[in-house]
Amino acid sequence: MTPDRFEDHCWKDAVPQDLIDLYAPYARETFVGPKPALLCIDFYNIVYRGGAKPPLEIQDEHPNTCGMYAHASIEPTKKLIAAARMAGVPIFYCTQDFRPMNRPAGVGSTKRQKVAWKKEDFDIYEPLAPQEGDVVIYKQRASIFQGTPIISHLNYLGVQSLIVCGESTSGCVRASCVDAYSNGFHVSLVEECTFDRHELIHKINLFDLHHKYVDVMHLDEVVQHLGSFSEGKVAAE
Amino acid sequence: MSERIWDKFLTERDKAVFAASGYGAQGAWGERPALLVIDVNYAFCGERPTPILESIKKWRTSCGEDAWEAIPVIQRLIGTCRERAIPVIYTTGQRRADNWDSGSWSWKNNRRSEAPKVDGSNRDGNAIMDEIAPGPRDLVALKQKPSGFFGTPLQSWLQLLGCDSVIVTGTTTSGCIRATVLDAFSMNYRVTVVEDGCFDRAQASHAINLCDMNAKYANVLHSEEVLDYLRGVPQGLFDLPSGSGMTQNAAE
Repeated sequence: MTPDRFEDHCWKDAVPQDLIDLYAPYARETFVGPKPALLCIDFYNIVYRGGAKPPLEIQDEHPNTCGMYAHASIEPTKKLIAAARMAGVPIFYCTQDFRPMNRPAGVGSTKRQKVAWKKEDFDIYEPLAPQEGDVVIYKQRASIFQGTPIISHLNYLGVQSLIVCGESTSGCVRASCVDAYSNGFHVSLVEECTFDRHELIHKINLFDLHHKYVDVMHLDEVVQHLGSFSEGKVAAE
Repeated sequence: MSERIWDKFLTERDKAVFAASGYGAQGAWGERPALLVIDVNYAFCGERPTPILESIKKWRTSCGEDAWEAIPVIQRLIGTCRERAIPVIYTTGQRRADNWDSGSWSWKNNRRSEAPKVDGSNRDGNAIMDEIAPGPRDLVALKQKPSGFFGTPLQSWLQLLGCDSVIVTGTTTSGCIRATVLDAFSMNYRVTVVEDGCFDRAQASHAINLCDMNAKYANVLHSEEVLDYLRGVPQGLFDLPSGSGMTQNAAE
């Protein structure tokens, strides 16, 4: 997208004009980089529980749910994953590490009050489930890069840039995007396939990431770009 | 292959095991290499070729004359890479004047408390040798631990440059070379170690570490073979630093 449409995103109604003006020097063209892989951050069951309702109404019964925000992203995310699959782009998922005897008490991706989670709480939500050939990364902290072999996998596949989607915008998505940037990757973060528990925190974090570290892009732009790849001859080779 | 530098250190059983176990196969070259020059500084080389037992009186980490045999080899590799605009990335150490950040190093050497800057020439031991001084388009990663990757931006630079492989030279074969090679291997970079472009202060360590790396992690090759390969790498593969505004010696 051209620089004049740099602020054409969901945060427009939440960010005051003086803040937009302050960040004017960050405006630039946004794009999907060469040889991309798709990272799907933390599409696990608990964030969809309780249905498409405001998280505040259902979080007592369904801790950590993103409710309506999670559900609004399901169809766009299906489209994104399908487009990546058609294009032959490598697809990585991540979720919390539930492998036995592998994690000291207190090691987690946030400092939230603890809940007695079960493994199935962190299985990938079935409508977006990984397929044969996808790679699932198990992590213990916020970033997909921290304490995982993902750099090795990306190098092995010759991946040079990343398309990111997932949740939460303020937590694991933000941590993963900053680490990806720090590791030298160009990152395109897909707005409609990224969510959090509250609109304000989602918008402000997208604003931060977009200006400093990644290109926040709309689903249709990314899908159109992936559609231009011919017959799946992308990074996997 | 003809006799290797490590053969004379191996037992007959060792040779039989290597032959039978499948290790030591030659992996493919990558297509987008970077040259790594690990820690070729005054602390490891001294200011001039001096027998090692003499040299280590001043520079306790010196590798003596072996360093000076490798330096012309490293010069040729650097020259060829610069001609073809292949990335040349140096590492060297970095330390506070009071040595506090020596950390674990001080646990294993009883001359560690010696100040890092030494008298006489007033050379900083961590300064990269004038003979192979970094140029304006080269990169220098400053490190504190053996691996060139540990606590440095090296991985992010290789990513930005789109490198799929590293060609490793410098010192010491058993220490920082091996640590860097292992990390590169773990991150799925193709690894070549230049046999005559690496050196160590211990001859047996040099040979056996080359043997280990060749068996498991890297192709250990003579510089002539590596130069042939580098001459075949197409021009213009890399978006190197422009060098604009840099001093001639990037490490200064």
